Amino acid sequence: MELTDADLIARVLVDDDHHAFAELVRRHQSSVRGLLRQLTRADLALADDLAQETFLRAYKNIRSFRGEARFSTWLYRIAYNCFREDARRRKEVVGLNQEQLQMEHDPQTVDPGLRHDLAHALKALPLHERAAIVLCCQNGLSHDEAARVLDIPLGTVKTNVLRGREKLKKMLAAWAPG
Amino acid sequence: MNGMIDDQTLDRQLREAMPYIDDDGFTARVMARLPAVRPRPQWLRAMVLLGLTILGSAMAWMLAGPFVRHGMVQLANFPIWLLVVLAFGCGLILGALAVVAMVHKTPEARDFTRLRF
Repeated sequence: MELTDADLIARVLVDDDHHAFAELVRRHQSSVRGLLRQLTRADLALADDLAQETFLRAYKNIRSFRGEARFSTWLYRIAYNCFREDARRRKEVVGLNQEQLQMEHDPQTVDPGLRHDLAHALKALPLHERAAIVLCCQNGLSHDEAARVLDIPLGTVKTNVLRGREKLKKMLAAWAPG
Repeated sequence: MNGMIDDQTLDRQLREAMPYIDDDGFTARVMARLPAVRPRPQWLRAMVLLGLTILGSAMAWMLAGPFVRHGMVQLANFPIWLLVVLAFGCGLILGALAVVAMVHKTPEARDFTRLRF
């Protein structure tokens, strides 16, 4: 029988079981790294560094995990905080990147595949909309869970998802049928 | 080729744009950076068990003799107000121990700024 996340967390808490924590990392590494790849606009090295930092923080603070939310939601919140702290450190302008947006609208750089275009379109979204879309539409979080991860009001998450989707649709209009 | 892509297609594409990422040594790299497990002294566990065993044996020896009978007789002779005070005192001590345990076990209780009312 496969152990649940709660069982593994209990083992980490009680016995400081590294094997149990390794299993938690194995289970959640894909979604956490995927989220960070989207947030960092596919900077794979940076995303993996931040993902490592996320799991290290999770290990150090696992006693503060209250079990009210899913473990994955808690991890996403740590990952998002890691990303924001890193962005602040780098003094990166988090938001709409004009250069990338311009590239999106340059017909010569438009890729043939819808998926490829979608990846570019996602990168062009402002951070708050991109994060909301990635969490809700790609990772399957509810609006409420995403609001907890992003530490913003529920209504703002809904607005960001809605606006993000509208922008994506516009950017992908070339793929509309008929 | 005008208009908008439909919601269904967008949702499907968004989900499919998030493929599973192979571990590829990631977990091992994380585990290598974790602080090493501090070995727990086995002798401490043995000493605690031994101490508890001796204590339990001593209590059993005391309770098995006339101690219980004498104790009950003495307790029955106590004035009622003393029994009430005794019971109240025990309750207070137990309550205080419970609060200490709760504060120790609950991080939120140690940091009042994190409490949600």
